[in-house]
Amino acid sequence: MITAERKPMEELIECLRPYNRILLVGCNECVTVCSAGGRKEVGILSSALQMAFMKEGKTLEVKEMTLERQCDPEYVEELVIQIDQVEAVMSMACGCGVQEIARRFKTKPVFPAVNTEFMGASERPGVWVERCQGCGDCVLGLTGGICPIARCSKRLLNGPCGGSTNGKCEVDPDIECAWQLIWDRLKALGLEDRYEENIAAKDWRTGRGGGPRKIIREDLVK
Amino acid sequence: MENFEPVIVAFCCHYCAYTAADMAGSKRLCYPPNVKIVRVPCSGKVDAIHIMKALEKGADGVYVAGCLEGDCHFKNGNIEASKRVAYIKKLLDEIGIDGERVEMISMSAGMGERFAQTAADMTEKIRKLGPNPAKSFSMDMASNNL
Amino acid sequence: MQDQNTFKQNHTVLVIGGGVGGIRAAMDLAESNRDVVLIDKASSIGGLMTQLDRTFPTNNCDLCTLSPNLSESSRQLHIELLAMTQVAEVQGEAGDFKLKLITEPRYIDLDTCTACGDCFKNFPECVRFTPGLDHRAPTCMRYPQAIPHAFSIDIEKCKDIDALVKVCKADAIIPEDTQKVRDLEAGAIVLAPGAEVFDPGKLDSLGHAANPDVVTSLEYERILSASGPTQGELIRPSDGKQPQKIAWIQCVGSRSLHEGAASYCSSACCMFALKEAIVTKERFQDSIETAIFFMDMRTFGKDYELYLNRAKDDYGIRLVRSRPHSVFHDPETGSLSIIYTPHDSNTNVTEDFDMVVLSTGFKVSRDVQDLAVKLGIELNEHHFAKTDSFNPVATSKPGIYACGMFESPKDIPETMVQASAAAFCASKNIRMVSESSEAVEEFPPERDVSREPLKIGVFVCDCGLNIGGVINAQGLADYSGTLPDVKVSEMIGHGCSRDALARIQTVIAKENLNRVVIGGCSPRTHETKFQDTLRRAGLNKYLVEIANLRDQNTWVHFDQPDGASIKAQELIRMAVTSVALSRPLTDNIFPMNKDVLVVGGGVAGMNTALSMADMGFKVYLAERSSELGGVAKKIRKTLEGDDVQAYMTDLIERTTQHDRIEVITNAFIVDHTGMPGMFKTGIQIAPQMFYRQITHGVTILATGALPNQPKEYLLGEHEKVMTQLDMDAVIEDQPDKIKDVTNVVMIQCVGSRCPENPNCSRICCQSAIKNALRVLELNPAARVFILYRDMRTYGFQEDYYKTAREKGVIFVRYEADALPEVQADDAQLEVKFNDPILKRKVSVYADCLCLSTGFIADEESTEDLGRIFHIPKTNDNYFLEDHIKLRPVDLSVPGFFVAGTAHAPKTIRECIAQAQAAAGRAQALLAKDTLNLGAVVARVEKEKCAACLICVRACPFNIPFINADGYSQIDPAQCHGCGICAAECPAKAIQLMQYEDDQIMAKLTGLLERVN
Repeated sequence: MITAERKPMEELIECLRPYNRILLVGCNECVTVCSAGGRKEVGILSSALQMAFMKEGKTLEVKEMTLERQCDPEYVEELVIQIDQVEAVMSMACGCGVQEIARRFKTKPVFPAVNTEFMGASERPGVWVERCQGCGDCVLGLTGGICPIARCSKRLLNGPCGGSTNGKCEVDPDIECAWQLIWDRLKALGLEDRYEENIAAKDWRTGRGGGPRKIIREDLVK
Repeated sequence: MENFEPVIVAFCCHYCAYTAADMAGSKRLCYPPNVKIVRVPCSGKVDAIHIMKALEKGADGVYVAGCLEGDCHFKNGNIEASKRVAYIKKLLDEIGIDGERVEMISMSAGMGERFAQTAADMTEKIRKLGPNPAKSFSMDMASNNL
Repeated sequence: MQDQNTFKQNHTVLVIGGGVGGIRAAMDLAESNRDVVLIDKASSIGGLMTQLDRTFPTNNCDLCTLSPNLSESSRQLHIELLAMTQVAEVQGEAGDFKLKLITEPRYIDLDTCTACGDCFKNFPECVRFTPGLDHRAPTCMRYPQAIPHAFSIDIEKCKDIDALVKVCKADAIIPEDTQKVRDLEAGAIVLAPGAEVFDPGKLDSLGHAANPDVVTSLEYERILSASGPTQGELIRPSDGKQPQKIAWIQCVGSRSLHEGAASYCSSACCMFALKEAIVTKERFQDSIETAIFFMDMRTFGKDYELYLNRAKDDYGIRLVRSRPHSVFHDPETGSLSIIYTPHDSNTNVTEDFDMVVLSTGFKVSRDVQDLAVKLGIELNEHHFAKTDSFNPVATSKPGIYACGMFESPKDIPETMVQASAAAFCASKNIRMVSESSEAVEEFPPERDVSREPLKIGVFVCDCGLNIGGVINAQGLADYSGTLPDVKVSEMIGHGCSRDALARIQTVIAKENLNRVVIGGCSPRTHETKFQDTLRRAGLNKYLVEIANLRDQNTWVHFDQPDGASIKAQELIRMAVTSVALSRPLTDNIFPMNKDVLVVGGGVAGMNTALSMADMGFKVYLAERSSELGGVAKKIRKTLEGDDVQAYMTDLIERTTQHDRIEVITNAFIVDHTGMPGMFKTGIQIAPQMFYRQITHGVTILATGALPNQPKEYLLGEHEKVMTQLDMDAVIEDQPDKIKDVTNVVMIQCVGSRCPENPNCSRICCQSAIKNALRVLELNPAARVFILYRDMRTYGFQEDYYKTAREKGVIFVRYEADALPEVQADDAQLEVKFNDPILKRKVSVYADCLCLSTGFIADEESTEDLGRIFHIPKTNDNYFLEDHIKLRPVDLSVPGFFVAGTAHAPKTIRECIAQAQAAAGRAQALLAKDTLNLGAVVARVEKEKCAACLICVRACPFNIPFINADGYSQIDPAQCHGCGICAAECPAKAIQLMQYEDDQIMAKLTGLLERVN
């Protein structure tokens, strides 16, 4: 899932200062699952924002709404009935959702309420970790199912750097060295030989190197 | 602010705190009438939103009262509740409203005295903190849930 | 009163006596679908307990704990209650008794009397009243919540009958009322007639008759009671001043050689006196001096020793070990002088007190003795019902059972145990009325209110002065009428009274109300009552909301009525705004699994299993060890001389041979889920440890306690040192060994009443006496020393203590801070102790040293089982019952019951009674064919669910799962209704029924919208 975290309240309050009526929009997909922007967080943020302004003697009217998915135009269309009654929109979805709203409602200012972080997995309840960087050319088949791009601080493709100590990364001792993990896993699989194989230099054009990406499925295009 | 009478909402779990409140009644233990109880089956039922909305609607203080640690009728609802209260405290501090206005308290069903004492202590604490700075002046402008 | 013809007489049990025991027995029988006729010679039921102010060891007010039971009992459909009624004649036998009942005229029609009190106000002398002290106040009903809630007229004392009849606005007085005779056929009879207290007038040296300030403990209780003549003010009768120094004298009429007094111990008086002394200090003034004069402090019940320690250490209650001979009255100062000899002195001491309370013992009244003759049952030498050691509630006549004080003197919890046991035994004699018979109240179909505009009715109780004395209840009702959508608002007096409930029902129908708010007491205790009223009025029972105006407002804010009035308005507003959003809900009803799991195969476990199996239930009996029997298998004789081995052999055989009992030995409980009527328990069976799951409806824990083996006094190190349990076997198996001994020394309280195990083990004093007497029988020349702290031979055990003293057993007291010392010099064993009379150290060479080591909780098993079943334990690791006074067999987790020494140390006789009681309570629960789990369950709105798994991970019981359709599913049959998932769900897709978010928000809105 795409993970996100609420921005500091101060930042949110600042960007909403010019407005009296806003629409606070949650998303029922990834940000719900990572407890950053579902219906519940919308409710909490709505109260927090109103109180923050009330404290200053100002009434901020907040309309709450949570869409099934903010990154699909059909769902975003549901905002039409509300949009004219507000001066601005604050989205609790990932960056995709924010932009989708901005694209649809050209004259309405839209602000992100969360910082979109990474594509990750839940390690245990309440803890999410980065697992994928969307490089567009997956090497997991070569590296024992552990991604050196997302999980090595230096994105090294052929073994660890000199900073790997006792399985930990020199960038932060809380980070596990991805190459240590890869080695352990290959050993467990009896595929030590694969470690010796060189992974060719990566063509980053499939990733961000080639500019913004696009996927087209001809058979589905309408 | 001399005559400030705080309004305090106490979310009380049915099995311990609400029973303790009744027990305080049976024992005729006086405490300030500022405390109003909302009964919930378990303190773990108290949503962060409930606490926020209570404050937003004008409560000066909110506390969640559950069973003693290890005694929750539903195993760990009280632990979950206390984590939520800690989260709300931080959020309140972030928007400049004293997180001290919110508390998690635990007691057993037999602790009528503790219930009364807690109610008195909380009232006194909120009285010192003064009115909720975020008291709304026009409630009809409140949020619409869609 | 119900029409008597509706009773199928051969299904009926007659319960004689409406005290707590009789009420418990009647309620158990009714709950297990048996018809009951409950008679009491008094004008209302409740017995002795309703005269008490508070009860030990919780120091709770009795009325508050008892009255819900009383009203429950009058509400039960299977119970017909006949006050002022006695048995005139009995014929027939078990299964077919034919009785004649005589009901005295009350001169008041029960159906029309509203208990307004006008008759009493105008003609106080004409109205009957019985409790102690001056009989005129504050109400002539025995207690404020009396049942039947009606007065009773003493027509003899009435001079102007016409005026009396006129004063009654309800026209309820019937001067022509006459004695009524009625025939009753009953299958069994439960005797719970209770006891009367000893009349201290016979002991003129104590001056009870002459001095108003010398009162009995029951009279003192009336002085403390809020419903007593002083309305709960502690004042001494002679001058109305608060006493500053009060003495209690124990054993008045008990343990006594005086004529008319009893030789037995009355069992409950030590705790009773401690309680009165504590309450005096707690409620009135800590500076009031309290002293209790006693011989042995007999706090042998569960956790009672802790109560004694609190009385001494925390409250500073002075305990004087002495039996005062006389109380003298000084006419000048008005004070009372007690002359006594302290136990460790030989000089007299005179001490003055303002008041003296006589702890009068219990005895069986003349009436009850006559009743026993009528019934043809045998009484023992003390005129109590004669019963068997191994069948403790069965009288000498089949089909007639005795419980409570009539069986032997005892306190309330033990009475409750025996009452349930007697009810169970009685139920064996009669057939069960099927649940579908007319006995179940039929409610009209529920009206569909979904399309109706809101019509809320608000009913405000004044609860007598409880609410009305602090706030203006009428004013509150007027205010409530101004709230949005409120159609009707009324003040209804005692809202839970029959009249008020009928009124609510009428108003709902007349005004077509669809939501109801009650401003009254706690929903915890009274919600069901009002829910029933809604159902009678054709509304779904979840359309009512109760504002707790009493327990959480007027009772706690009586010091500031203005604040209480404002808060009352707020509480009503909260209830009105939230009831507006309440929705009709359907209870989740499931079929009841009627199988029984009994854990523990000792004397209690086997008795429970056999009792249930005999009633037709399938029983799984899980025993941890490889064989049945438990501790009792090691015991040879009881104090009374019964052969325990023969009994146990028979019991084990009957258990193993029973068709419906499956014995599982080497069984370890490993997991457990579910709720009453649908439990699942996992068992691992040694030695292979294979796993088996049992499904059952109730669980009875009879896991026992362990014989204590403290490492003291060379126990286990020296061959001459043994426990009383060992001694019991030596006497039986090696009598020659006993014939050779010169000195036998027994030390009491070894490993009990000490910091490591603070409670009394209850059984050790009687086992020491038992073994001492048997030693002397085998070897009359032997010298037997019993070194003790307090001899706790309660009840009829006292007779054996007396015999032991007569036969020359040497009893020597020791203090906790000067323990006896034991030294071994090879085979020689020397015991040294202080003799308080000789005031010097004495040394005895013992041929045998018997340690009274008592019981210790089986911590390993209570710890494991407590964790697996979520059952709380006491500090010393016994299972903690749901209510230590009124529900001593039920555990706090519904569907769980406890029997035997897993509850607390007790004798075999007491274990058997509790086993039968547990069977009775379990039977009552299993009587229903279905199981109602209520409506408070979590419900998922699938459209909102993001399948995030948060509920799956948050649920403490692992109930939610993501189903094949990709959303969370929660099985209402398994949901416990805590709402944790609802609070955690990030998509707000889960709602907990009855506590939905909008309802909680509405409460906040109701409270806060006008705050600013």
